[in-house]
Order: sequence, then structure tokens, then C-alpha cells
Amino acid sequence: MFELVQGWLQRPNFIAFVILFLWGLYITVTHHNLLKKLIGLYLVQTSVIFFLVTTGAKDGATVPILIPGETVVQPETYVNPLPHVLTLTAIVVQVATLGVSLALVAGIYKKYGSLDEDEVLKRLE
Amino acid sequence: MSDHLPIFVFVSPFLAAICMPLIGLNNPGRCRPVALTALGTMFLLSVATLWRILGHGEIRYAFSGWAPPAGIEWVADEIAAIMVVVLSALAFLCLLHTGRETDTELGSRTVPYHAILLTLVSGLTGIVFAGDLFNIFVFLEIAALSGYALVGVSGGRALVSAFRYLIMGSLGASFYLLGVSYFYMATGTLNMADLAQRIPDLLHSKAVIGGLSFMFIGLGIKMALMPLHGWLPDAYTEAPDSVSPLLASLVTKIATLAWIRILYRVLAAGSSDTSLEIIGLLWVVGSLAAVAGSLLALTQQDLKRRFAYGGLAHIGLVLVGVGQGNQTGLAGGLFYLINDAVMQCLLFILVGVIARRYGARTLDDLGRIQLPPPWIITGFVVAAISMIGLPPTGGFFGKWYIVLSAIEKENYVAVAAVLVTTLLTMAYFMQVLERMLRGGQTGPSAQKIETPLQLRLSTGVLSAAIIGLGLWSDRVVQVLLQATSQLGL
Repeated sequence: MFELVQGWLQRPNFIAFVILFLWGLYITVTHHNLLKKLIGLYLVQTSVIFFLVTTGAKDGATVPILIPGETVVQPETYVNPLPHVLTLTAIVVQVATLGVSLALVAGIYKKYGSLDEDEVLKRLE
Repeated sequence: MSDHLPIFVFVSPFLAAICMPLIGLNNPGRCRPVALTALGTMFLLSVATLWRILGHGEIRYAFSGWAPPAGIEWVADEIAAIMVVVLSALAFLCLLHTGRETDTELGSRTVPYHAILLTLVSGLTGIVFAGDLFNIFVFLEIAALSGYALVGVSGGRALVSAFRYLIMGSLGASFYLLGVSYFYMATGTLNMADLAQRIPDLLHSKAVIGGLSFMFIGLGIKMALMPLHGWLPDAYTEAPDSVSPLLASLVTKIATLAWIRILYRVLAAGSSDTSLEIIGLLWVVGSLAAVAGSLLALTQQDLKRRFAYGGLAHIGLVLVGVGQGNQTGLAGGLFYLINDAVMQCLLFILVGVIARRYGARTLDDLGRIQLPPPWIITGFVVAAISMIGLPPTGGFFGKWYIVLSAIEKENYVAVAAVLVTTLLTMAYFMQVLERMLRGGQTGPSAQKIETPLQLRLSTGVLSAAIIGLGLWSDRVVQVLLQATSQLGL
């Protein structure tokens, strides 16, 4: 048990990820306001991106650009760039999702005059 | 040159989608012929790809010449090529069948509608070809975002359904991405072929098991697997009539295909030296989805909703086949997947037509209308026969191979589940057919319903395809068996 907790504490980024992810999921599921649902969703997506970025991090490592004069590349001196590249694509996807969802929310608000899910569902009947 | 075929298959709808706002700038009427041309070209190119692959083996396309695993790779094998032929043909017919009515129905939204439709098709093509887990995520999201927009394109109630679909779909995508990052942490690669070499040693690592579970949940939402299907019935019911055939026939099926590829290409599930519990889980979940989906379908009044629940059951049946972990099951599951795409497309086209021409959206409405013209009736009966699973249609042979694989595995619970699903499917189709065929006596007569040429063409081709898939099922299944034999089953 002690080792388990110790293992967790050595990886604060994982703890932060779990908190953000669950928080976002909770907001998305429980809130009735459509915009708040979106905020929750955004938090979920961002937490996954955060998780992906932190997996590439290393202690004392630098940006993945070749140091002048160095002929042999030593991978342990560089941060892993691949998660960052993946993240960039994931952020683009996230922004596009946000755009579409805001357009949908705006459409719903224009049509039904409310952002509350229950209210909208009542007017749908 | 012929090595570049897969990318041209993708580019033809994608390029047209990007150029669509320019093409429709002055004259939105031009969008339709351009979109049809793009999809037609795509169909011809995908047939050429299939031809090439059947003759010379699979194509591995490394983008910009960067060899995998450093570069991004597309893998066009037999399964992918067959799926793309089906995809492009169905997309073409879905767009064709409405005629110019969509243009007048959508008004100012004509241009975005065509652009997004083509983006959806190119996104789905990307999922089919992708040889990289992250690439699948990107194309899943391209397809899904176009899907949300297409569901909501007619405004009003559809917006709410589209919003729900978006929330569920994006959560699914996040889960999938989380699974992918677990895989990356455990192995340091995302290329499927590369992963397949490293995964077997790591199958008991918690990161891989966790990643696999997250991916399954994510893709489960995308393929509307039974407990995760909440978004689907609303989205299909509220989507415009020209869109729901496309969504029903393709989106969930392609997500299922992605899951099958991950299972068999990456994890080599079912091969003797890797015992994967998830395979055992798959047929249980599939059986539950099949039985529960058709039971729920039986209770629905709204026609589109009824068939949407029916579609959930069919995804379940595919998973029953795939979950047996033998070659017959995998080939049978894939064959059923193809058949199901064609059947759903025909069924939703006809339901849409009946709703538009007669205003009949529920079972009771159906009893009041006059007898629909023979084109619609014939198409509907063919689709029903195939859905229930009677010979000589493709649906029968798909179910046949699934049952056969379950018997091979001596898995009689799965056999029972397939048979119960068949009976329930028969029950809910009989209700519909009975009302539809008896309606002629009471309905107001003399109201001539014309069936335009495009509609006849679409329903005719699709009905012929369903029967053709049955008559030539041997050939198709042979190809699928050959393709699956390389997967080490």
C-alpha cells in the first residue's frame, strides 16, 4: 500500500490528470446548462492532452533541436517530441469540436430561447 | 502509379469538399453534380484499388516516402478495399436518391451540406485505410464532426439531437485518445504493424490492458454498442431523410471495422499463443446488444427509431461473429458488416421516402396510407428478407457463417442469441409489412405518387446488391477468409 501511494506521489501529473478528467466528466454528466456541459467536455479533452504532453517530459532535458557541434545524438538529453506533435493535432480536433458545438448551442438558443436542457426538452414536446 | 491508388480514393471526395464553397459561390445548384462526380470517381478508383489488391496483394502507402514507423502509413488490404468500394457506392446512391429535392429542402444550406457530406465520406475512408492508431483518431473525429453537423443541418429539434451526439461522440473520442496514449507509453510506437510486434510481450502489462479498455469504451460509443448507444436513436430519427441512410449504413459500421482491425491486426487476438479475455467479452456484449436491440425495436412506434434500434442489434451480431475468435467467425462477421451497411442504406432510404411522400412516420400512419408503388414495396421486402435473414439474400449468409463459427466453438449461447434475434427481427418487420401491405384498402385513393428515376435506380441497385451478395456470397467470403488467414487465426 505504501509503495503504491509512493508511486502515485512520484507522478503528480497523473494525479492532476485523473482529477481534471473526472471533474470534466462529472460536469458534463450532471449539469443541465448546455454551455456548462461543453465546459466539462472541454476539460475532459484538455486533461487527455495534458496527460499526453506530460508523458514526453524528462528531468533536465531540453527542446528537441540538435545542439550545434554535437555529432552523436543522445536521446536522453531531449524531451520526446512525438507526444507534442500528437497533441498539436489533438488540439486542432478539439478546437474544431468546440466550434461545431458552440454553433449547435447558438442554434438551440436561437430556436428555443434557453440554454437549460430541461427547459429545451420541455419546449420540444 | 497503381501504388498510389488508395490516396487518390481519399483525395477525390476530399478535394471536392474543400472546393465546394467556391463551386457553389454563385450557383448552389452546381454542388450536387460536382459531389456526385466526385463520389462516382471515388467509386471507380476504389474498384480499381480492389482489382489491384486482389491481383497483386496489399498496398502499403508511406506518406511522402517516410518509411514507417517514423512516417505515417496507410494499409490497403482486401478488407479495407472491399469496405471502401461499399462505402463509395453507398454514399453515391444516398446522394443520388433524393434528386434535387434536397436542394430546395435545405435552401441556403445546400453548399455546406454537400461539402460536409463529402468530408464525412473522406473521413470514413481514412479510418478504413489508416495503419496507425493516432491516424484512426484523427479520421474518427473528422467523420464524427461532419456527422454532428449533418444531423443538425435541418435545424430545430435536430439541433438538440446533434448536440447530444456531439457530447457522447467527443467523450468517446477522448476515451479512445486516452487509450492510444497508454499504448504509446507502453510501447513507444503507434504504427499498427510495429505495435503488433511489441504488444505480445506486454499483453499482461496494466498499461496495455487499461489502454485497450479505454479504446474499447471509446470505440464502443462510436459504434453504438448496446449500453453506450444513447445518442444513436435520436440522431437517426431527427437527421434529415437524405442523411440518415448514410449515417445508419456507414458511421457505426466503420467504427466497428476500426475495432476489429485493432483487435486482429495489433493484438493478434484469437491466435493460439495470446489468450485474450476481451475476445470472450466481445461475443457476450454482442449477444446482449443483439437481443436487447431487437426487443427495443419491437416497442418503437416511430419507423426510423424502430430501425435504428434494429441497427444496434446488427452491430451486436457482427461482434458475436468476431468474438468467436476463429476464422469463420471473423470472415462471417465482416461479411455481415458489409451486408448490414447495404441493407440499412436501402431501408433508411425507403423509410425516408415514405415519410416524405406520404407523411407517414409511425406505424399507425403506415396503416392509413395507400399501397406504395411497387418499387418501394419490392425494395422494402428485399431489405426485410435480408434483415430477417432468409436465403437467397446476403443477410442469410452472413448470419449463417456467424452461427457456423459459434457451432465450431461449441458456443451454443451465442447460437441461441442469433436465433432469438432473428425471430425478434421477423416480429418487428412483420408488424411493419402487415400495415404497409394492408393499408391500400382504407387509404384515400387516386393520389398518384411518382417515383423519380434516381429513386428507382438507387433502390433497384441496392436491392440487386443485397440479392447479389447472397448469390455470390461464396466468392466474397472466400476473399475475406483469405484475408483473415494472414492474421494468424
